[in-house]
Amino acid sequence: MNIASNPRLLALLSAAYTLGTLGAGARRRFESLAREQAPVRVSALLWRERLASLVELSPAVEPPEAVWLRIRNLVDAELQRERAGARPAPPVPEERWWGSLALWRGVAAAGVVATLLAGVAGTHWWNEARGARPVQYVAILSDAGASPSMLVTFDPRSRQLTLQRVGTYQVAADRSLQLWALPPGRAPQSLGVLDVSARGMRLPADAASLQQAPALAISLEPKGGVPGDRGPTGPVLFSGPLVEKTL
Amino acid sequence: MTALPDPDADLIALLDRVAGRDPKALHNLYQRTAGRFYGLALRIVRKPEWAEDVQQEAYLTIWRSASEYRASLSPPMAWMGLIVRSRALDLLRRHRAAGAGQTQAFEEDAADALPSAEPGPQELADASEQAWLLHQCLQQLAPAQREALSLAYLRELSHTELARQLAQPLGTIKTWIRRGLDKLRVCMERAG
Repeated sequence: MNIASNPRLLALLSAAYTLGTLGAGARRRFESLAREQAPVRVSALLWRERLASLVELSPAVEPPEAVWLRIRNLVDAELQRERAGARPAPPVPEERWWGSLALWRGVAAAGVVATLLAGVAGTHWWNEARGARPVQYVAILSDAGASPSMLVTFDPRSRQLTLQRVGTYQVAADRSLQLWALPPGRAPQSLGVLDVSARGMRLPADAASLQQAPALAISLEPKGGVPGDRGPTGPVLFSGPLVEKTL
Repeated sequence: MTALPDPDADLIALLDRVAGRDPKALHNLYQRTAGRFYGLALRIVRKPEWAEDVQQEAYLTIWRSASEYRASLSPPMAWMGLIVRSRALDLLRRHRAAGAGQTQAFEEDAADALPSAEPGPQELADASEQAWLLHQCLQQLAPAQREALSLAYLRELSHTELARQLAQPLGTIKTWIRRGLDKLRVCMERAG
């Protein structure tokens, strides 16, 4: 069939092809005609361009502010990883709070729990499960008085951290809470700024940045948080060990 | 020749800076375009939580692939809009695969919450020339025909799916699409 000589039919088929409303048979015939005849191909591309403008014609709706915060956190994390890859992180002075003994004792205790779980489940099965399944992480962050204040879980499929408050801590309007991973021997890495107004706080994260961090902490920072590569500037409100959960 | 203010030129300059890994440029781009694309995402996926995820994925894609923008030869809003549509369709496919039975009940609930389908003057001010022309030609269609064409494209719907979502007989949908496309063709070809 020479549809190139019938401009009306050619245009209608091209438009319907782009729209996706051709039936399966007609679709395949149109595709093979387009492969054989350049004018058919040109017409298909032209209509693809024309109808693509439909994406520009939706009415605007303002997204919630938390969406930009999530995007910004992801972009910051990406830039931070790139910089970390480009040059080694500076050594961390020992007297900083993330070297504190109490925190590491907590981490060691978590290790004992994981070991006990491994013992119950049987080492072989445990290793198999670790290899086969994406690892989930859980952390309970406590304040200075050791009362639990924040539950953090990581879902490897959606690559998201979910933070749920347990306590009643209120943040002043000009301050933000920032979450940090604490890799041993290195400066804390920002996992993102928390949006305390959002229903259940969510932060994007990847398993790799959690794998190397036996503990997490939350610091109080100026509104909007601080650059992620220099560590926290404000007081640490909550901290706790990060536990791998494969059961 | 006098230089007219060109929204495309601003957006292209921002995309160039985003391609150079400038997070401030991404923020500017977001402020300029977030409402437009959240509106688009909402129109495709309909649930606000889903539209938020689409928005996040779409701007990350823009952040990571801005260096490919120039080679696309497309108007900037069209290039970014296609990214939003493609992330939105990915999300719908994921949810369809995860829980096939739940979508239908949700469609009925969500129908009331749909934003109006017509772009306002602000949206049109930023639209590409090509989108302007399409908008003018779509105005010649009856609102129902316009809606059917637009949803077929944005949500990748077949005639049958359109009939279900718009609660119309299949024959009516087929007629709307056929006549709508024919009118659109006459108008677009007259305009060049």
